[in-house]
Amino acid sequence: MSGDNRSGPADRDPSAEELVELTVVARQAGVKIVHVRRYLEFGLFEPHPDAATKTPRFDPGNAARVARAERLRRDLGLNYPGAVLVCELLDRISQLETRR
Amino acid sequence: MRSRRDMGRSVALNYTDYYKVLQVPRDADQAAIRRAYRKLARKYHPDLNSDSDAEERFKELGEANEVLSDVEKREQYDRLGDRWREAEHEAPEESFEDFFTHEGSGQGSRVEFGEDLFESLFGARAPRADGPLRGRDSEALLDLSLEDALAGGRRRLTLDGREVSVNFPSRVRDGQLIRLAGKGGEGRAGGPPGDLFLRVALKPHPRFHRRGADDLDIELSITPSEAALGTTAAVETPTGTARVRVPAGSSSGKRLRLRGRGLPKRGGGSGDLHAIVKIAVPKELSDRERELYEQLAHVSSTESQEASP
Repeated sequence: MSGDNRSGPADRDPSAEELVELTVVARQAGVKIVHVRRYLEFGLFEPHPDAATKTPRFDPGNAARVARAERLRRDLGLNYPGAVLVCELLDRISQLETRR
Repeated sequence: MRSRRDMGRSVALNYTDYYKVLQVPRDADQAAIRRAYRKLARKYHPDLNSDSDAEERFKELGEANEVLSDVEKREQYDRLGDRWREAEHEAPEESFEDFFTHEGSGQGSRVEFGEDLFESLFGARAPRADGPLRGRDSEALLDLSLEDALAGGRRRLTLDGREVSVNFPSRVRDGQLIRLAGKGGEGRAGGPPGDLFLRVALKPHPRFHRRGADDLDIELSITPSEAALGTTAAVETPTGTARVRVPAGSSSGKRLRLRGRGLPKRGGGSGDLHAIVKIAVPKELSDRERELYEQLAHVSSTESQEASP
């Protein structure tokens, strides 16, 4: 990434053209594809429902999510479902915090 | 930390007490060290702790754990720790220098002590066995004036001790997230950096007051005669001046809408600006004005008496 300022509203759903394949998610997360597949198996993220193609396509925003799970897994000695669970709980905490 | 004595050459003493970092006594056994590290790692993991110093503390924990959980490294560190305290308190300069010379890799090569305690003790860190990883996404507030949020521009922000230059687009909304790709946390072992998300926070404006999500109110002062007779007045808008027609018989509090002169809407378009009439009566009247007001008062009272017998 060149550090260019790709600024724009991030709080929106990506359009179909912006969806990417799993390898791209893996590359952007800096995580090996085998690990990314494990996170997919445990439901850390899902293919985008709008993608009506043969190969499932994903919101590129999932890269940050995968990287976070992987940091937690490595740093705290968690396993895959444990890391996924922590991510889900963190999401709930941030939802509760913004609702206040 | 600096030595109390001037060492002649300036050597930045940056000794880190790894026992203090892990909050264990110096004679803690390996199990206690492991336990302390795991507990504190959960507490200060930057993905779990949003304090600005969590990242730094977590790094320090990792370093402390790497040294103290390894029996050989711990022994070496303990010896240095004792010498360091001696050096700080009373050891003469020579022995201090000698010590570091011996600890260095080659003959006579002086080890820079202080920049990185770990590296000066054990050499460069081995690359992490578990490979590269993308850095953390970080979030920061971008305080903007209403004018800047509409016009767009550039800001320099200090985030976790580093300066980041940020271009933000025009027409950003309060609470909107602006993503700056690659400006977040550093990647690990060659992994890509995370993204930086800036959450726009509109600063209160001295004259424009927000109403709802995207409408604005501004006060419009007019004279009593303008209010009675009607006028066309200049109104300040966030992007310049507009003219608004004030109908005859406008009382204080009357709202005059300027469509599309408010804040950007979420789906596109803009909210409205409301000019709120405020009748401002002059404090001092000229003789002529006083005379006319008296006549006016007289006419008004007779007419109202006639209207309500």
